[in-house]
Amino acid sequence: MHVTRREFLKISGMASALGALAGLGFDVLPIKSYAAGLDTMTVKETTSICPYCAVGCGQIVQTDKATGKIINTEGDSDHPINEGSLCAKGASLYQLAVNPARWTQVLYRAPYSDKWEEKTWDWALDRIAVNVKKSRDAGFVIKNAKGQEVNRTEGIAHIGSAALDNEECWLLQAIMRSLGLVYIEHQARI
Amino acid sequence: MAGKSFLIDTTKCTACRGCQIACKEWNKLPAGETKQTGTFQNPPDLNASTYRLVRFQEYPSEKNYMVWYFFTEACRHCMSPPCKTEADKYVKDCITVDKNGGVQFNEKTKELGANAEKVKAGCPYNIPRLNEATKALVKCHMCYMRVDAGLLPACVKSCPTGALNFGERDDILKLAQTRLAEAKKKFGDKAELINPDEVRAIFLVADTPAKYCEFATY
Repeated sequence: MHVTRREFLKISGMASALGALAGLGFDVLPIKSYAAGLDTMTVKETTSICPYCAVGCGQIVQTDKATGKIINTEGDSDHPINEGSLCAKGASLYQLAVNPARWTQVLYRAPYSDKWEEKTWDWALDRIAVNVKKSRDAGFVIKNAKGQEVNRTEGIAHIGSAALDNEECWLLQAIMRSLGLVYIEHQARI
Repeated sequence: MAGKSFLIDTTKCTACRGCQIACKEWNKLPAGETKQTGTFQNPPDLNASTYRLVRFQEYPSEKNYMVWYFFTEACRHCMSPPCKTEADKYVKDCITVDKNGGVQFNEKTKELGANAEKVKAGCPYNIPRLNEATKALVKCHMCYMRVDAGLLPACVKSCPTGALNFGERDDILKLAQTRLAEAKKKFGDKAELINPDEVRAIFLVADTPAKYCEFATY
């Protein structure tokens, strides 16, 4: 059965509200649910690390077992770095994944064009590969002015990101060094 | 029963606004389009999709060049909520007090109609907001579902500095006295707790409450 997040909230909300009413008897509680992520029968909890800055706060990502969709994120109380707390960016992590403004298609703007075209990933990756090869070869330097062998390309620079994890950094470093890049930077130093 | 309470120690707040966003995230409230108005306070006021807002105020100071006051504002969950007294005149039990002492606005607030304005005006702290789409009155609900499940309210959970505290009222009142003593030592005798006997969201401020927020007290 396919259940969207909205439907899921509705269902769990009704169940929670009924439960609350039955338990308290006298209380008229709001019918709308705020209880996403509390029902462990339907929710799977996965630990993760906040991608935004170098502090590396622990997060708990709660996903719906049926759909695999994220329904809530919050700080991981067991994590030694943040002990459950989060800043504004960390607290907003949910909408990094669940966001109507998020791009789901490759968009391409041709040189001198004033509009975006939708493309496939295969098309985009091939195009990136071709352009990287072209730039790398065009900017490749075998020997420097002193005649020393350097085997580097000066035609490409790489700017990394604080959102990269250790393994991604290793992969990128390996790729960039093997292409012969020397201009490898990170946003935190700029 | 004593119920639960918040202690909001503004002297420990760095205005990271984690609480404001955690609240939005938990309640799945949408973002609103805003303009840069020369302050970090954004959105400019509480609204139907912002139950908690960090207010920023700055003043010249002889000692430190300037002082910057942060006030993470949401419902105070009054011990005797005047909003409920007012609302009960029009729609009985559209505002209730839950077992933890949290003041809850429910779907019946939609039936208030034009009287919603009177209920809003009944709040000395200027907290309730009208959801224009649903016509319901909305505000902080003390994360009653989370608290029921043994979790902290979303805002308190996210607070990295210990400015936001939540727990049994007796414990919070004790903590409030400890923090007040610390604040008086550091910031002088102006430090005070705002209406600790009347509300469940007790603010500790280092200066006159009105300097933090127009409706900090009444």
